[in-house]
Amino acid sequence: MNSNKLMDMLENFLMPIAEKLNNNRHLTALRDGFMIALPLIIFGSIFVVLANLPFLDMLIGEEAYATYQDALGPASAATLSIMGTFVIIGIGTKLTESYGIEGIFGGVAAFASFLILTPQTVEDVSGVIPTAVLGAEGMFVGIFTAFLAAELYRFFVQKNLTIKMPAGVPDAVSRSFSALIPITLTLSAFLVIRIIFSYTPFETVQNLIYTVIQEPLTALGSGLPATIIAVLLIQLFWFFGLHGQILINSVFDPIWYALNDENLQAFQAGTELPNIVTKQFIDTFLVGMGGSGMTLAVVIGIFLIGRSRQLKELGKLGGPPGIFNVNEPIIFGLPIIMNPLALIPWLLAPVVITLTTYFAMATGLVPKPAGIIVPWTTPIGISGFMATGNAWQGAVLQFFNMAVVFLIWWPFLKILDKSYYESEKKEGNE
Amino acid sequence: MKQILLACASGMSTSLLVKKMEEEAENRGIDVKIWAVAQDKAVKELGNADVLLIGPQMRFMKKKYSKTAEEKGTPLDVIDPVAYGRVDGKAVLDHALKLIDG
Repeated sequence: MNSNKLMDMLENFLMPIAEKLNNNRHLTALRDGFMIALPLIIFGSIFVVLANLPFLDMLIGEEAYATYQDALGPASAATLSIMGTFVIIGIGTKLTESYGIEGIFGGVAAFASFLILTPQTVEDVSGVIPTAVLGAEGMFVGIFTAFLAAELYRFFVQKNLTIKMPAGVPDAVSRSFSALIPITLTLSAFLVIRIIFSYTPFETVQNLIYTVIQEPLTALGSGLPATIIAVLLIQLFWFFGLHGQILINSVFDPIWYALNDENLQAFQAGTELPNIVTKQFIDTFLVGMGGSGMTLAVVIGIFLIGRSRQLKELGKLGGPPGIFNVNEPIIFGLPIIMNPLALIPWLLAPVVITLTTYFAMATGLVPKPAGIIVPWTTPIGISGFMATGNAWQGAVLQFFNMAVVFLIWWPFLKILDKSYYESEKKEGNE
Repeated sequence: MKQILLACASGMSTSLLVKKMEEEAENRGIDVKIWAVAQDKAVKELGNADVLLIGPQMRFMKKKYSKTAEEKGTPLDVIDPVAYGRVDGKAVLDHALKLIDG
């Protein structure tokens, strides 16, 4: 069988999976909903980093440091700690939009529905909403609520259960009226759900979803086996030239973000961090080292051992974007895609790094991710430092891991370079 | 002016290509506007473009874009992986111009 036929066969097998994952309305809304929350989460994260700068307390004194932390506190409290809010509005909006209906009413309907399901008392004080449910704890209820609310809203809109305003009424006015009945019906449905639940042993939807779905799922997702499977799937998709990260993230992001948020709350409270695997574990310690597959080590390898023109050119091309974890030139240019020689280091290195990172954190050599979301384009060293809550060990671990990736790639890169070099020499002689 | 739209996961790697394509177009004296967007923005931007080129790693988006592209009569295609890896502005520009001119 020639390689074209093999490529076609694999394409025919993998493309439908990729298309299903990507074109699934709910998964897409989930991913794009998180994207809406991302700028806010990153803003909050930067202020957590600033509020916890190392040695600052020794420099300006305990008291001034406490004042400084208090002053910066609201930045993360208003964004990171209630990230569920933005995710819910984001998912509600994007899902409604996917039906060709104006999204924002679907978004706010989703948020209001979520609040209807939420217990509005804290220790017998009524009229308050605990921020915990707007963060990690409420993430899954939020996601399901957003799905259901947006579906109900668009259903009522599509059934034309709207008030039609006569011509001549300003557009904005008629639009808010057109949303009136669908929103009323949607929110009423959730009120009914809340009332029904108050008669069950769970009392609230929160309790049910938290104990039945969220806890088991996040426990599974925080484990090493599920993480390695996710990492392998990402690599495998990429090997066939499909964006593995975006495909697998759409399934794993809710779990990784929830784990992240649990850590953040512990970090801010100064208690022990519960999770190792989080969004940051993936984004900083795997993707954050040159992009998917940690190819910054490959770029360095090219500069150190590359003799062939082809690889040298590629190093120049792929180096600068690689520093910011954009590595499509390396993936398509080496090429890694469909290259049997690249398959072994491509699959092996991320799994090994997952293990070294996991054990470095499990043994306490390196602090666990503090739940701070560092943009994935942040260069190596800086990202490891920030993600672990301003710990130099995080940066050192990244550089250690990069050396490991380099060693894994080295023999394979050498063979590849040699074959390019020889064919270039032959071409030159002819 | 010819309008060329590129799309990938977050518009990062395609924007590398935009720069190279602009250089090539300037050398040839062709009046073009080339820009890169994230995958969820591509459908919205499709109306402003004469052609849409998709990064090969996002080729599973093609079907999703095809409907809108057909309605608007905008040609679209997936960028050749080799040209993508080499950030070959010349080849991709040629590809885009060929699609525009039908």
